[in-house]
Amino acid sequence: MRRTVVTGLAVVFAVFVAGLVATGCGNDSGSTPGSSASTTKASEVTGAITLSAAASLTEAFAEIGEGFQRANPEASATFNFGSSGTLATQIQQGAPADSFASADEANIDKLVTAGLIAGEPTVFARNRLVIVTKPGNPEQVTGLSDLADLGVVSLCGLEVPCGKYADQILTTAAVTIPTDRITRGQDVKTTLGAVSTGDADAAIVYVTDAESAGDSVETVTIPDAQNVIAIYPIAVIAASTNQPTTRAFIDFVTGPKAQATLRSFGFLPPD
Amino acid sequence: MSRRGRRTPWFAIALAAVGFAFITLPLVGLIQQVSWGSLVDDLRTPEAQAALRLSLVCSVWAAALAMAFGVPLAWVLARVEFRGRAVARALVLLPLVVPPVVGGVGLFYAFGRNGLIGQYLWDWFGIQLTFSTAGVVMAETFVALPFVVITVEAALRGMDRRYEEAATTLGARRSTVFRRVTVPLIAPGLVAGAALAWARALGEFGATITFAGNIQGRTQTTPLAVYLLLESKPEIAIGLSIVLLTVCVAVLAVLRDRWLGTG
Repeated sequence: MRRTVVTGLAVVFAVFVAGLVATGCGNDSGSTPGSSASTTKASEVTGAITLSAAASLTEAFAEIGEGFQRANPEASATFNFGSSGTLATQIQQGAPADSFASADEANIDKLVTAGLIAGEPTVFARNRLVIVTKPGNPEQVTGLSDLADLGVVSLCGLEVPCGKYADQILTTAAVTIPTDRITRGQDVKTTLGAVSTGDADAAIVYVTDAESAGDSVETVTIPDAQNVIAIYPIAVIAASTNQPTTRAFIDFVTGPKAQATLRSFGFLPPD
Repeated sequence: MSRRGRRTPWFAIALAAVGFAFITLPLVGLIQQVSWGSLVDDLRTPEAQAALRLSLVCSVWAAALAMAFGVPLAWVLARVEFRGRAVARALVLLPLVVPPVVGGVGLFYAFGRNGLIGQYLWDWFGIQLTFSTAGVVMAETFVALPFVVITVEAALRGMDRRYEEAATTLGARRSTVFRRVTVPLIAPGLVAGAALAWARALGEFGATITFAGNIQGRTQTTPLAVYLLLESKPEIAIGLSIVLLTVCVAVLAVLRDRWLGTG
């Protein structure tokens, strides 16, 4: 009896591991073979760096990271995506990040004040906010004022940049949504998820997230007069042990290739 | 000590000490962060009050529902012979090991507005369980139910059935036997099941935030408030954590003789 249990567990574990290997999770190197090292600039751009980046950058940075690695085969970039507020707190508590890309200036300024940033932050993108609804817009939302009459509206948490921006937008438009109808997401992705895979009727998210979500949501534009422009700065963390590679990544992000990628995901140019 | 120390291998003691420290250090870390002077005021803030009130209401409901369905379920699993009983038991205990977030996603596809059952509730009655307090109770019941089943079933299997047989032979009706013989005999198991279910419901996070969202005063229970206030108002988050911790310690302390063995 005991032996069969142990054997059974061993089989379960083996199948799990085999499944991981088969689906490629165990294959974390050499996924981009044949990429020539034609653009390797300096021999300093080597080794692994970790970037803490705002959740709204998830798709764009995944692609930019691949481009960076192609251009610098000796280097590798891994990402830690989350709400900018959470990421800033993690860095303040000593999380091992080499760079921080925030969806607002407040969270990076907090780190500058604390002396945790090396050099000056660089603005590399801007973003706009939109309303998203269920596909087909069943509640016929045409603007911010309609949000006050919906069942449940999903907004980012107040500590998350997109939550602050959303509140700013609603204040500008003089729209008050009753608190007992606002669900707050931990970051912009969960906030959007409450509409795309949840039962919330609408959310306020970045244009870029609405685009990434594709057909699972419908977008309603917020007029410029009411909208807010989100500013995305990136900086080197003072405690980084690989600052040359981190600087190279930031140069790459502000370079033409990565900027084109950011545009393709709906981000606005930095100025 | 010295005599015992010779018989117990030193590395077992060392590993045990590490294990003990690993469990207790986070608790110590939490406790030393509490600003005791303002604890009461922190817990009186509207956010904390709303979260605590909601947690209390929802966890009591969840524990009651878990008992209402869990005790009969345990009884069937312990007493009724049927094909596939082992599979049924494994399925019922699934929420013990499934990540609560996955449970929440499952609840959504079953009871959401487009879910298997949820679509009819919505189309026919206009009932929406997601983002509602009822949704919180459902998510909490989902994770709490197995605790009732596992404790009560163990109690039913462990009891001496001759008392029931004797009562039946003496002419007691089935309901009387259950009420006067079975229930008193498994009472410790019932109490333990209810208490564990309640404690588990109180701490529920993943299934709740996934299925019921995070609406202050409606679905933002204490663990959700702890998570979301950790950055903006850490004192309140830590104060609420201490409340949850105290309740859990109290439940385990009360149960120590009945369920967890004396120590």
